[in-house]
Amino acid sequence: MGFNLSHLDDESLILQIKEGKHQAFEEIVNRHAKRFYSLAYRLVFNREEAEDIVQDAFLKLWNKPELWDSRKRVKFTTWFYRVVTNLCIDHNKKKKPVPLSDKTPIRHEQPGQDVLLDHQQKQVLLDNLIRELPERQQLAINLCFYEGLSNEEAAEIMGVKVKVLQSLIMRAKMTLKEKIKPYLD
Amino acid sequence: MIMDLKQFKENLLLYGADVHRWPEEIRNAGLEALKNSSEFRFLVDEEAKFERILKSRKYEEPDSYLERRIISVALQIKKNPPSSLGTFLLELLAEFRLPRPALIALSVLIIGFTIGFLDPIASAPTEQDPTTLQAFLYYEEEIP
Repeated sequence: MGFNLSHLDDESLILQIKEGKHQAFEEIVNRHAKRFYSLAYRLVFNREEAEDIVQDAFLKLWNKPELWDSRKRVKFTTWFYRVVTNLCIDHNKKKKPVPLSDKTPIRHEQPGQDVLLDHQQKQVLLDNLIRELPERQQLAINLCFYEGLSNEEAAEIMGVKVKVLQSLIMRAKMTLKEKIKPYLD
Repeated sequence: MIMDLKQFKENLLLYGADVHRWPEEIRNAGLEALKNSSEFRFLVDEEAKFERILKSRKYEEPDSYLERRIISVALQIKKNPPSSLGTFLLELLAEFRLPRPALIALSVLIIGFTIGFLDPIASAPTEQDPTTLQAFLYYEEEIP
Protein backbone atom coordinates (compact mmCIF):
# COMPACT_ATOMS: atom_id res chain seq x y z
CA MET A 1 0.00 0.00 0.00
CA GLY A 2 1.50 3.32 -1.01
CA PHE A 3 0.95 6.77 0.47
CA ASN A 4 0.62 9.73 -1.79
CA LEU A 5 3.32 12.18 -0.80
CA SER A 6 3.11 14.34 -3.90
CA HIS A 7 1.50 17.17 -1.93
CA LEU A 8 4.58 17.54 0.27
CA ASP A 9 7.35 19.95 -0.64
CA ASP A 10 10.94 18.77 -0.99
CA GLU A 11 12.00 20.03 2.40
CA SER A 12 9.23 18.10 4.19
CA LEU A 13 10.20 14.98 2.28
CA ILE A 14 13.80 15.32 3.42
CA LEU A 15 12.63 15.51 7.02
CA GLN A 16 10.82 12.19 6.45
CA ILE A 17 13.91 10.72 4.80
CA LYS A 18 15.84 11.68 7.94
CA GLU A 19 13.38 9.47 9.83
CA GLY A 20 14.21 6.63 7.45
CA LYS A 21 10.98 6.72 5.44
CA HIS A 22 11.71 5.11 2.13
CA GLN A 23 8.51 6.33 0.49
CA ALA A 24 9.64 9.92 0.93
CA PHE A 25 12.89 8.97 -0.76
CA GLU A 26 10.96 7.37 -3.64
CA GLU A 27 8.92 10.52 -4.07
CA ILE A 28 11.97 12.75 -4.23
CA VAL A 29 13.74 10.46 -6.70
CA ASN A 30 10.69 10.30 -8.96
CA ARG A 31 10.27 14.03 -8.72
CA HIS A 32 13.83 15.10 -9.52
CA ALA A 33 15.97 12.32 -11.02
CA LYS A 34 15.50 13.46 -14.62
CA ARG A 35 16.39 17.08 -14.03
CA PHE A 36 19.59 16.19 -12.19
CA TYR A 37 20.43 13.62 -14.84
CA SER A 38 20.07 16.35 -17.44
CA LEU A 39 22.72 18.51 -15.77
CA ALA A 40 25.01 15.53 -15.12
CA TYR A 41 24.73 14.43 -18.76
CA ARG A 42 25.68 17.87 -19.99
CA LEU A 43 28.67 17.98 -17.66
CA VAL A 44 30.08 14.51 -18.31
CA PHE A 45 28.87 14.01 -21.92
CA ASN A 46 27.94 10.38 -21.36
CA ARG A 47 24.60 8.74 -20.53
CA GLU A 48 25.76 5.82 -18.36
CA GLU A 49 28.20 7.94 -16.40
CA ALA A 50 25.56 10.61 -15.83
CA GLU A 51 23.11 7.97 -14.59
CA ASP A 52 25.69 6.56 -12.18
CA ILE A 53 26.47 10.02 -10.83
CA VAL A 54 22.80 10.79 -10.22
CA GLN A 55 22.41 7.43 -8.50
CA ASP A 56 25.43 8.12 -6.28
CA ALA A 57 24.05 11.53 -5.38
CA PHE A 58 20.67 10.13 -4.36
CA LEU A 59 22.27 7.32 -2.38
CA LYS A 60 24.30 9.91 -0.50
CA LEU A 61 21.03 11.62 0.32
CA TRP A 62 19.49 8.36 1.48
CA ASN A 63 22.49 7.44 3.64
CA LYS A 64 23.16 10.88 5.06
CA PRO A 65 20.10 13.10 4.71
CA GLU A 66 21.46 15.23 7.54
CA LEU A 67 23.96 16.65 5.04
CA TRP A 68 21.14 18.91 3.90
CA ASP A 69 20.78 21.36 6.73
CA SER A 70 17.37 23.02 6.83
CA ARG A 71 18.72 25.73 9.14
CA LYS A 72 20.88 27.08 6.33
CA ARG A 73 17.69 27.96 4.43
CA VAL A 74 18.98 26.61 1.13
CA LYS A 75 16.38 25.02 -1.13
CA PHE A 76 16.80 21.27 -1.50
CA THR A 77 17.20 21.50 -5.29
CA THR A 78 19.85 24.21 -5.01
CA TRP A 79 21.82 22.11 -2.57
CA PHE A 80 21.38 18.95 -4.62
CA TYR A 81 22.49 20.68 -7.84
CA ARG A 82 25.67 21.47 -5.94
CA VAL A 83 26.07 17.82 -4.90
CA VAL A 84 25.59 16.60 -8.47
CA THR A 85 27.88 19.29 -9.89
CA ASN A 86 30.67 18.41 -7.46
CA LEU A 87 30.36 14.72 -8.27
CA CYS A 88 30.57 15.53 -11.99
CA ILE A 89 33.62 17.74 -11.53
CA ASP A 90 35.37 15.03 -9.47
CA HIS A 91 34.39 12.45 -12.09
CA ASN A 92 35.81 14.55 -14.93
CA LYS A 93 39.05 15.10 -13.04
CA LYS A 94 39.52 11.36 -12.58
CA LYS A 95 38.65 10.59 -16.17
CA LYS A 96 41.39 10.55 -18.79
CA PRO A 97 41.05 13.28 -21.43
CA VAL A 98 38.59 12.10 -24.06
CA PRO A 99 40.24 11.71 -27.46
CA LEU A 100 38.47 13.51 -30.25
CA SER A 101 36.25 11.03 -32.04
CA ASP A 102 36.63 10.23 -35.72
CA LYS A 103 33.52 12.23 -36.38
CA THR A 104 35.02 15.34 -34.86
CA PRO A 105 35.37 18.07 -37.44
CA ILE A 106 38.83 19.26 -36.51
CA ARG A 107 38.70 21.73 -39.34
CA HIS A 108 37.36 24.27 -36.87
CA GLU A 109 40.97 24.96 -36.00
CA GLN A 110 41.36 26.71 -39.33
CA PRO A 111 39.84 30.13 -38.81
CA GLY A 112 38.13 31.88 -41.66
CA GLN A 113 37.28 28.70 -43.50
CA ASP A 114 33.53 28.32 -43.96
CA VAL A 115 32.56 24.72 -43.64
CA LEU A 116 29.06 23.32 -43.84
CA LEU A 117 28.54 20.42 -41.53
CA ASP A 118 25.76 17.89 -41.25
CA HIS A 119 23.62 17.77 -38.13
CA GLN A 120 25.62 15.08 -36.36
CA GLN A 121 28.90 16.81 -37.05
CA LYS A 122 27.48 20.04 -35.69
CA GLN A 123 26.48 18.25 -32.49
CA VAL A 124 29.95 16.81 -32.03
CA LEU A 125 31.53 20.16 -32.78
CA LEU A 126 29.28 21.92 -30.31
CA ASP A 127 30.07 19.38 -27.60
CA ASN A 128 33.76 19.85 -28.19
CA LEU A 129 33.53 23.63 -28.14
CA ILE A 130 31.62 23.53 -24.86
CA ARG A 131 34.10 21.03 -23.44
CA GLU A 132 36.91 23.45 -24.29
CA LEU A 133 35.36 26.22 -22.19
CA PRO A 134 36.74 26.80 -18.69
CA GLU A 135 34.90 24.70 -16.10
CA ARG A 136 33.00 27.59 -14.52
CA GLN A 137 31.85 28.96 -17.87
CA GLN A 138 30.61 25.49 -18.82
CA LEU A 139 28.70 25.21 -15.60
CA ALA A 140 27.19 28.68 -15.92
CA ILE A 141 25.91 28.08 -19.43
CA ASN A 142 24.61 24.63 -18.52
CA LEU A 143 22.69 25.89 -15.51
CA CYS A 144 21.26 29.03 -17.11
CA PHE A 145 20.81 28.14 -20.75
CA TYR A 146 20.25 24.38 -20.78
CA GLU A 147 18.62 23.92 -17.36
CA GLY A 148 16.73 27.20 -17.55
CA LEU A 149 17.61 28.33 -14.02
CA SER A 150 17.55 31.98 -13.08
CA ASN A 151 20.84 33.82 -12.78
CA GLU A 152 20.25 34.15 -9.05
CA GLU A 153 19.72 30.42 -8.50
CA ALA A 154 22.67 29.47 -10.71
CA ALA A 155 24.86 31.91 -8.79
CA GLU A 156 23.76 30.35 -5.51
CA ILE A 157 24.53 26.85 -6.79
CA MET A 158 27.97 27.93 -7.94
CA GLY A 159 28.61 29.91 -4.79
CA VAL A 160 29.38 33.13 -6.67
CA LYS A 161 27.80 36.57 -6.88
CA VAL A 162 25.20 37.18 -9.59
CA LYS A 163 27.51 39.64 -11.36
CA VAL A 164 30.24 37.00 -11.55
CA LEU A 165 27.79 34.45 -12.90
CA GLN A 166 26.60 36.90 -15.54
CA SER A 167 30.15 37.62 -16.59
CA LEU A 168 30.78 33.86 -16.95
CA ILE A 169 27.67 33.44 -19.15
CA MET A 170 28.63 36.35 -21.36
CA ARG A 171 32.18 35.15 -21.84
CA ALA A 172 31.02 31.59 -22.57
CA LYS A 173 28.48 32.72 -25.15
CA MET A 174 30.85 35.15 -26.84
CA THR A 175 33.52 32.44 -27.13
CA LEU A 176 31.04 29.96 -28.54
CA LYS A 177 29.63 32.51 -31.00
CA GLU A 178 33.08 33.31 -32.24
CA LYS A 179 34.01 29.67 -32.71
CA ILE A 180 30.71 28.63 -34.26
CA LYS A 181 30.60 31.51 -36.74
CA PRO A 182 32.51 29.74 -39.53
CA TYR A 183 30.00 26.89 -39.49
CA LEU A 184 26.81 28.91 -39.66
CA ASP A 185 24.72 28.23 -42.74
CA MET B 1 14.37 54.02 -19.16
CA ILE B 2 16.07 53.94 -22.56
CA MET B 3 18.25 50.98 -23.35
CA ASP B 4 21.35 51.63 -25.42
CA LEU B 5 22.97 49.19 -27.84
CA LYS B 6 25.62 48.00 -25.37
CA GLN B 7 23.06 47.24 -22.67
CA PHE B 8 20.80 45.55 -25.19
CA LYS B 9 23.61 43.27 -26.40
CA GLU B 10 24.50 42.35 -22.82
CA ASN B 11 20.92 41.55 -21.96
CA LEU B 12 20.60 39.42 -25.09
CA LEU B 13 23.55 37.34 -23.94
CA LEU B 14 22.26 37.11 -20.39
CA TYR B 15 18.55 36.56 -20.87
CA GLY B 16 18.25 35.28 -24.43
CA ALA B 17 16.55 36.23 -27.69
CA ASP B 18 13.01 36.16 -26.31
CA VAL B 19 12.76 39.68 -24.97
CA HIS B 20 9.29 38.92 -23.55
CA ARG B 21 11.00 36.62 -21.05
CA TRP B 22 13.54 39.14 -19.81
CA PRO B 23 13.31 40.17 -16.13
CA GLU B 24 10.37 42.46 -15.52
CA GLU B 25 12.48 45.49 -14.63
CA ILE B 26 14.20 45.61 -18.05
CA ARG B 27 11.56 43.96 -20.24
CA ASN B 28 9.64 47.05 -21.27
CA ALA B 29 12.80 49.00 -22.06
CA GLY B 30 14.00 46.09 -24.16
CA LEU B 31 10.72 45.80 -26.07
CA GLU B 32 10.63 49.54 -26.64
CA ALA B 33 14.17 49.53 -28.01
CA LEU B 34 13.32 46.60 -30.24
CA LYS B 35 10.27 48.34 -31.66
CA ASN B 36 12.23 51.40 -32.66
CA SER B 37 15.39 49.97 -34.17
CA SER B 38 16.02 47.58 -37.04
CA GLU B 39 19.57 47.11 -35.75
CA PHE B 40 18.19 45.74 -32.47
CA ARG B 41 15.83 43.44 -34.39
CA PHE B 42 18.79 42.14 -36.40
CA LEU B 43 20.66 41.41 -33.16
CA VAL B 44 17.66 39.49 -31.81
CA ASP B 45 17.46 37.40 -35.00
CA GLU B 46 21.16 36.60 -34.79
CA GLU B 47 20.84 35.63 -31.13
CA ALA B 48 17.84 33.40 -31.91
CA LYS B 49 19.86 31.66 -34.62
CA PHE B 50 22.74 31.14 -32.21
CA GLU B 51 20.39 29.74 -29.58
CA ARG B 52 18.91 27.28 -32.08
CA ILE B 53 22.42 25.97 -32.69
CA LEU B 54 23.09 25.67 -28.95
CA LYS B 55 19.78 23.84 -28.52
CA SER B 56 20.75 21.35 -31.21
CA ARG B 57 23.37 19.98 -28.82
CA LYS B 58 23.24 16.21 -28.47
CA TYR B 59 21.16 14.95 -25.57
CA GLU B 60 20.40 11.35 -24.65
CA GLU B 61 17.41 10.58 -22.47
CA PRO B 62 18.21 8.51 -19.38
CA ASP B 63 17.21 4.88 -19.12
CA SER B 64 13.48 4.71 -18.42
CA TYR B 65 14.25 2.61 -15.34
CA LEU B 66 16.65 5.14 -13.81
CA GLU B 67 14.35 6.12 -10.95
CA ARG B 68 13.39 2.51 -10.23
CA ARG B 69 17.05 1.49 -10.22
CA ILE B 70 18.01 4.20 -7.73
CA ILE B 71 15.09 3.34 -5.46
CA SER B 72 15.80 -0.38 -5.46
CA VAL B 73 19.54 0.12 -4.76
CA ALA B 74 18.64 2.38 -1.83
CA LEU B 75 16.22 -0.26 -0.51
CA GLN B 76 19.04 -2.79 -0.38
CA ILE B 77 21.16 -0.49 1.74
CA LYS B 78 20.49 -0.83 5.41
CA LYS B 79 19.75 2.59 6.77
CA ASN B 80 22.29 3.68 9.35
CA PRO B 81 20.69 4.05 12.78
CA PRO B 82 21.14 7.37 14.51
CA SER B 83 24.62 7.32 15.94
CA SER B 84 25.06 6.68 19.66
CA LEU B 85 27.99 7.72 21.83
CA GLY B 86 29.57 4.29 21.29
CA THR B 87 29.22 4.54 17.50
CA PHE B 88 30.62 8.05 17.62
CA LEU B 89 33.68 6.88 19.55
CA LEU B 90 34.19 3.93 17.23
CA GLU B 91 33.95 6.21 14.19
CA LEU B 92 36.39 8.58 15.86
CA LEU B 93 38.89 5.79 16.49
CA ALA B 94 38.52 4.56 12.94
CA GLU B 95 39.09 8.08 11.69
CA PHE B 96 42.41 8.49 13.47
CA ARG B 97 43.68 4.95 12.74
CA LEU B 98 45.70 4.67 15.96
CA PRO B 99 48.19 1.82 16.48
CA ARG B 100 46.90 -1.14 18.50
CA PRO B 101 48.66 -0.35 21.87
CA ALA B 102 47.40 3.22 21.73
CA LEU B 103 43.92 1.95 20.93
CA ILE B 104 43.99 -0.42 23.94
CA ALA B 105 45.25 2.32 26.25
CA LEU B 106 42.61 4.69 24.99
CA SER B 107 39.87 2.05 25.38
CA VAL B 108 40.95 1.36 28.98
CA LEU B 109 40.87 5.08 29.71
CA ILE B 110 37.42 5.44 28.16
CA ILE B 111 36.11 2.41 30.10
CA GLY B 112 37.64 3.82 33.29
CA PHE B 113 36.02 7.19 32.79
CA THR B 114 32.74 5.55 31.90
CA ILE B 115 32.76 3.45 35.08
CA GLY B 116 33.72 6.52 37.08
CA PHE B 117 30.83 8.50 35.70
CA LEU B 118 28.30 5.67 35.88
CA ASP B 119 29.15 4.70 39.45
CA PRO B 120 29.20 7.96 41.37
CA ILE B 121 28.45 6.24 44.71
CA ALA B 122 31.83 4.52 44.72
CA SER B 123 33.71 7.72 44.09
CA ALA B 124 31.65 10.31 46.00
CA PRO B 125 32.10 10.86 49.73
CA THR B 126 29.74 8.69 51.75
CA GLU B 127 28.13 9.19 55.11
CA GLN B 128 30.93 7.23 56.75
CA ASP B 129 33.39 10.03 56.24
CA PRO B 130 32.06 12.41 58.92
CA THR B 131 31.98 9.54 61.38
CA THR B 132 35.58 8.71 60.67
CA LEU B 133 36.53 12.32 61.07
CA GLN B 134 34.66 12.56 64.34
CA ALA B 135 36.41 9.43 65.57
CA PHE B 136 39.71 10.89 64.54
CA LEU B 137 39.01 14.16 66.35
CA TYR B 138 37.84 12.25 69.39
CA TYR B 139 41.02 10.23 69.32
CA GLU B 140 43.09 13.43 69.05
CA GLU B 141 41.43 14.79 72.18
CA GLU B 142 42.55 11.71 74.03
CA ILE B 143 46.12 12.70 73.54
CA PRO B 144 47.39 14.39 76.61
